[in-house]
Amino acid sequence: MKRGWLLIPCRHAHELLSERMDKPLGRGDRFRLWLHLMVCDMCSRVERQMDFMRRAMRRLSD
Amino acid sequence: MDAESLHATLGGLRPTLLRIARLQLRNDAWAEDAVSEALLAALEGAAGYGGQSQVKTWVVGILKHKIIDQFRRNGREVSVEAQVEAAGVESLDELYHPDGHRYQPPTEWGDPEASLSRGQFFEVLQACVDRLPANMGRIFMMREWLEYETDQICKELAITPTNCFVMLHRARMRLRECLEMNWFATERGA
Repeated sequence: MKRGWLLIPCRHAHELLSERMDKPLGRGDRFRLWLHLMVCDMCSRVERQMDFMRRAMRRLSD
Repeated sequence: MDAESLHATLGGLRPTLLRIARLQLRNDAWAEDAVSEALLAALEGAAGYGGQSQVKTWVVGILKHKIIDQFRRNGREVSVEAQVEAAGVESLDELYHPDGHRYQPPTEWGDPEASLSRGQFFEVLQACVDRLPANMGRIFMMREWLEYETDQICKELAITPTNCFVMLHRARMRLRECLEMNWFATERGA
């Protein structure tokens, strides 16, 4: 399968994970990210860590 | 809380507030202004403070608004600097193989929620944010702490959305690395 269309490397998945925190992703990106997270434990871990960092930042200097 | 002890508490918070404002605004005069305005507003609004949260949380909440006011007032001056720096930030190449896979897999953070109840964790988090390049740190704080939408950040700082997303992404990846190294990989975070 042609790389870059459906299968994305971790680096690109991380970019999409971050972008998703700032704006809604388009359908294609949403699907590619979903597919990547299904098979990549490392990036699923990063996904949870990004969520956690957001919650932590909102409580900074409370 | 009576007026006298509120005065004392607010006075005690001033250095902390100033530090927060300086970090965000990167300009001593604007930071002083924001803090003075926040303290004044706190004194005037003391009747409205029902003691439902800590005084510090309440005043920091006011300060956030005053920082945003300062951005509005000084937006133009901030923006030029942001663009210059954005052009010069290095990429995240050191984290990835050329094929886009990571050199070092991210480690498991265990139960990060437990960290949220520990003051020491927030010191490490603050130190990691402080370590970001100045404007990257500012954009990140606007997004995650002042809770601006990205289009508001673009407008206030006059940067392109692409630039903004890139800066935020880099800030998050750096912060992730920093927390992993300085908290979760140590026994403090375990």
